[in-house]
Amino acid sequence: MRAWLPPLMLATLLCGLSAGMSVLEPLYEWVQPDKQQVIYERESFLSLLQNHILLVLISACIGTLVAVAGGIFATRPSGRDFLPLVSQIASIGQTFPPVAVLALAVPVLGFGEAPILLALILYGLLPILRNTLAGLQGVDATVKQAALGMGMSPLRVLLQVELPLAGRVIVAGIRTSVTINIATAAIGSTIGARTLGDPVVAGLVNGNTAYVLQGAILIGLLALTVDSLFEAAESRASAI
Amino acid sequence: MSSTWSTSDLSPPNRVVSVLALSALVLVWVLNLGTILPNRIVPGTGHGLLSAIGWPGAMLVTAALSGCLLIALLPLRFRYVSLLILVSASLATLPLLLEVFAARHLPENSPYARSSIGSGFWCLLFFLSLMLIEIFGRLGSGRGLQLIVVAVICGSWVWLFQGDGLESLSLVREFNARPDKFEQALWTHLALALGAVTISAGLAFVLALQMIRSVAWRRPVLSVVSFLQTIPSLAVFGLLIAPLSALVEAYPVLQALGIRGIGWAPAMLALVAYSLLPMVRNTYVALTEVPESLADAGRGMGMNERQLFFRLKLPLALPVIVEGVRITTIQAIGLTAVAALIGAGGFGSFIFQGLGQAAMDLVLLGALPTIALALLADALLSMLAASLRPTPATA
Amino acid sequence: MIELKNVTCRFGTSVAVDRISLTIETGEVCVLVGSSGCGKSTTLRMVNRLLPLSAGEILVDGENITTMNPEQLRLNMGYVIQGTGLFPHWTVARNVAMVPELLKWPRQRIDERVQELLTLLGLDPAIHAEKYPQQLSGGQAQRVGVARALAADPNILLMDEPFGALDAITRENLQLEMLRIQRQVRKTTVFVTHDIDEALKLATRIAVMDQGRIIQHDTPENILRRPASDFVESLVGKQDRGLKLMSLRRVGDLMQRYPQAAIPEPGEEGVQEDDSLRLALSVMLWQDSGELPVFNGDGAKTGVVTRERIFQAGA
Repeated sequence: MRAWLPPLMLATLLCGLSAGMSVLEPLYEWVQPDKQQVIYERESFLSLLQNHILLVLISACIGTLVAVAGGIFATRPSGRDFLPLVSQIASIGQTFPPVAVLALAVPVLGFGEAPILLALILYGLLPILRNTLAGLQGVDATVKQAALGMGMSPLRVLLQVELPLAGRVIVAGIRTSVTINIATAAIGSTIGARTLGDPVVAGLVNGNTAYVLQGAILIGLLALTVDSLFEAAESRASAI
Repeated sequence: MSSTWSTSDLSPPNRVVSVLALSALVLVWVLNLGTILPNRIVPGTGHGLLSAIGWPGAMLVTAALSGCLLIALLPLRFRYVSLLILVSASLATLPLLLEVFAARHLPENSPYARSSIGSGFWCLLFFLSLMLIEIFGRLGSGRGLQLIVVAVICGSWVWLFQGDGLESLSLVREFNARPDKFEQALWTHLALALGAVTISAGLAFVLALQMIRSVAWRRPVLSVVSFLQTIPSLAVFGLLIAPLSALVEAYPVLQALGIRGIGWAPAMLALVAYSLLPMVRNTYVALTEVPESLADAGRGMGMNERQLFFRLKLPLALPVIVEGVRITTIQAIGLTAVAALIGAGGFGSFIFQGLGQAAMDLVLLGALPTIALALLADALLSMLAASLRPTPATA
Repeated sequence: MIELKNVTCRFGTSVAVDRISLTIETGEVCVLVGSSGCGKSTTLRMVNRLLPLSAGEILVDGENITTMNPEQLRLNMGYVIQGTGLFPHWTVARNVAMVPELLKWPRQRIDERVQELLTLLGLDPAIHAEKYPQQLSGGQAQRVGVARALAADPNILLMDEPFGALDAITRENLQLEMLRIQRQVRKTTVFVTHDIDEALKLATRIAVMDQGRIIQHDTPENILRRPASDFVESLVGKQDRGLKLMSLRRVGDLMQRYPQAAIPEPGEEGVQEDDSLRLALSVMLWQDSGELPVFNGDGAKTGVVTRERIFQAGA
């Protein structure tokens, strides 16, 4: 139970600050004394937060599904031929900077949520794919042989032996992917997605450091909350 | 003997290349190969393969892709060598499609009209590249051959882009409009990314040594650097502005050094902070993972700790440390593009300018060189790491 | 000569080596034998100061090792460990040259020494010198390990289960090799093993260790004939002691010699003077004969050994 305390506290702080950013008004006035308006009000922080989380969540779910399915396919006998290419894609793809992937999605899909969702899915599935491959290939061959030899069907071996053993590595991949995607989604406000990056970009454009600070604090808190959630989940999993 | 010889020499059909070739064939016919824009901003009209380059061209593309498909499936003797030649020739001559497209469709007398690359072309490039990667893997070729093929392809591209035929391409137009700025962006980008990598490498080395020397440093250092890595880049850049501005206000001498709340100073700070995690982790792990039995053997033979470090631990750790430098460099190149948002310059400024002006080819002018830099850094540092591994991997 | 006086080694509260005293004469092979965790490796590693002494003292040629520079001390002791500890990023030649390089020998002398040692260990320098350790078989790698230890011609050789990771046949070969080299170079050797047969084969004297103490320190024959405790008795094997004793003795010591060596008849089978009595007995049982011809190293027939003599002298 103690493990869940940090994410809970961080999440409370995140929601509280999103709802009542004006609490910190004196701080922002000190940072930005010459501006009339120091609290970003073009859109409520709560709806930005909600949208940010939604983008990351959808892309993480789709990315995980596609990457795990791809990883499983490439490690089955029928998909073995594709294994070298798939693992090459997973490693070469990660050399592409996330911003560049984001930028490349715009000419294809235009501005808005669609290109950022595509970019998040595509970029986010690479670390998951890579870890799925590593996890599945890392399962001791003798364990698989033993399971097959005892009469388990290949599907049961996959579900009851390989995936549980590779699970920790796959979850680590999802964690990396989500961390990257929270950051990329924030940058996504430059291509018209409504995320917590909005106040930062607006502040940078208008020279309003207070806006920048508000956005940055919330983005940082969101990242820490999600990361501590993964941390708690992993420590629980290892405690079992 | 002779009968078994001929069958054993034949590699089995390659499903991967055939799937890739088939996908490319379908997509290149379905998607737009290119677009003609009346000017820089207005969305243009797309042209499919047939309309873009006419029957002869479309047949040639189809023939090349079908050729790949057939060679991949038919029982042939030199399957991968023929595939390599066909695919790399296709890749090398790919810009010719754009040239033909521009020549056929660009209106004669409108100086603002330009041609733009369509998704069909990108798909073709993408799938041909994947085929090339797959073929390299199957050939089991050394780096030498790969380098030669890639150099030939890149050389051919550079040569084609320097000619007049692609002058109307809007990407080229955007470049020609600002060659000085492009060069400046390149140097800024490199200076920021490499500067951050160098500084963090030095810092990380010291930190790693300190962690090895004293247990008390281990956990705090690792938690701090991984905490830094968790905070999204935009937030770090944003959070640094206020404190740096305050600092500069308090100490005007800093301003004389060119340090401001925005610009290169916060960018460099954030980049160094980000680079620390992969650097520290790889350096620390590399140095501690030298087997204790080896260190013991060295000690038992009379080596002192200094000799042990420089003759045994460092050489064995170096490939892993360079791997850390590789990861860090790629990451820093990407983050430098984001740093353009706080006015640090570099290729990111083209990306964000282009996004602001809805000029997609300006976005490409920023994004493509960023990717190219990252891939180049990846290739160079992987080669360095491989060359530092002096021992053959297996018996 | 190595003298251990009341040597103790503690790790925290547990005592790994408990007040042991041991004298190893110059040129003898002292084998420390015992089960894992008995403190035999710990003892060895105190001799070259890889581990500190908690109490007591160790003298090498009369000099207390704690007063010596540890690196200097170790440069004068060859050290061979299980799994070889060869540096994977150096070639075989460079590995062997390690200590001479540390001692800053001239290049020419180092190269000659490497050639000489590889040849001594039965490795062709032309084939093996430029290989990397990963390219060698287990036995070859361990030979290189021994060559490296002998490189600077140290007076003392410390061997920590050097043949423990090898298969039975390779181990047997290397043990014979060890005996041959030891006859040539006469190093004061401390050898750690858990294999009592290896100890009996190689040792001039054996120190049996258990729970950090030396239970018995004696020649192989005395260890077999008069085990000091039940532990030693069970270690050497109560039932097959007779055969083990026979394997300690040479045929040449018990044979009836002809006044003059004879030329053997073609196809005549027998044993060598250097073979053990155990082997001679085995051949007799196999051939169902009461006596065997004995040949010397040159192949000349120098006498016979009979079953009666073996039985009389055997136990």
